[in-house]
Amino acid sequence: SGVWNFGSLLGLCLITQILTGVFLGMDYTSDISTGFSSVTHIWRDVNYGWLIRNLHGNGASFFFICIYMDIGRGLYYGSYLYKETWNIGVVLLLLVMMTAFVGYVVPWGQMSFWGGTVITNLLSGVPYMGDTLVQWIWGGFSVDNGTLTRFFGFHFLLAFVIGGGTVVHLLFLHETGSNNPGGVNSDGDKISFHPYFSYKDLLGFVIMLLGLTSLGVFSPNLVGDPENFTPGNPLVTPPHIQPEWYFLFGYGILRSIPNKVGGVLGLLFSILVLMVVPILHTSKQRGLTFRPVTQFLFWTLVGDMIILTWIGGMPVEHPYIIIGQIGSVLYFGLFLVLVPLGGWVEN
Amino acid sequence: MASRAPAATGRLLVGFRKWYYNACGFNKFGLMRDDTIMEDSDVKEAIRRLPEPVYNDRMFRIKRALDLSMKQQVLPKDQWTKFEEDFPYLEPYLEEVIREKKEKEEWAKK
Repeated sequence: SGVWNFGSLLGLCLITQILTGVFLGMDYTSDISTGFSSVTHIWRDVNYGWLIRNLHGNGASFFFICIYMDIGRGLYYGSYLYKETWNIGVVLLLLVMMTAFVGYVVPWGQMSFWGGTVITNLLSGVPYMGDTLVQWIWGGFSVDNGTLTRFFGFHFLLAFVIGGGTVVHLLFLHETGSNNPGGVNSDGDKISFHPYFSYKDLLGFVIMLLGLTSLGVFSPNLVGDPENFTPGNPLVTPPHIQPEWYFLFGYGILRSIPNKVGGVLGLLFSILVLMVVPILHTSKQRGLTFRPVTQFLFWTLVGDMIILTWIGGMPVEHPYIIIGQIGSVLYFGLFLVLVPLGGWVEN
Repeated sequence: MASRAPAATGRLLVGFRKWYYNACGFNKFGLMRDDTIMEDSDVKEAIRRLPEPVYNDRMFRIKRALDLSMKQQVLPKDQWTKFEEDFPYLEPYLEEVIREKKEKEEWAKK
């Protein structure tokens, strides 16, 4: 079905981000005194620089839409039972998140600086060597020029690490072949890639590029933060520091736990829990297509992630605190307890 | 009196099982329950042991279901697999495979 298009769409997103990123890198300078103004220069002076920047910034959002849909497809249809492919996929998710995080620091706006400061400070929770580790990452005693130069380097490098990881991901997928909505063995009913899947993927590419271009041209700041139009200033803290929308659910989980180390572990495990899903598969059927009880739990998880995303963007006050805490408990409860229980009941 | 209560509960259970069977939806694709079992190594061995006509029927149902799924369609209602007609054709073979595996493991321990 259409949800199987997101794999190839992720490949297109990666190529788009690399192409637009390389062109942006031709005019960007990774120095705190010129970084922000070089982005302004790209926008105003470079031919179609405004479009390249729009496509790159909004392309990141589309990357995450595609990756979350790909993971959702994997969870719903039991594709995670291709364990090697799935686990490399989780590593790819972590790499994409790291790339997006360091990439957001690059423009050196207020939210770039302060978002970078908040998240890098979380590493101080590591026992014994936490503070040393943070200063090592920063390249100094605060988020400063050393941080920006290396983060730009990491951003450039990680894109190609993701490319390499993608090749390994596809290598393992081609060992088994794709899953299907019925979760049945399709070895007896194969069709050629061309023209069926080539045209199917091409249609997906056209739709996604149309969406990306429309967003970039008609509403480029729809999902952005207005604080990033202000140059980063270590002396002025924004009233609401928050990451981009695709990190908000994790941010909500992080802030729900009233302990620094606990919050960091919650954030980490909110992604790593995906690696535990294949181990906790209890049903005799592969996917949820024919399992109404677990289908309900799946959509509860989707709703919970939407609520956690909303909570991540809200201030840390009543009633958002308790809603976030219930949402966080439900998130882990669904993965670790309720869905395995649902599978066992349905057996 | 005492014999009526279990009969009523039994009918309720059968009624619920029939409702759940239809709610699952695989019957709309002409599949049987045992067609949807995930193929781990035990199930693969059990399928290998199926008599040829049973195996051919299974493959036909699965291919038909894959085709319908690809076209986002289901069978006409009169062709849906009925709860009463569905039978666990794979279960005896699967139980045999699991029994043999356990016996081999017991022997390997000695």
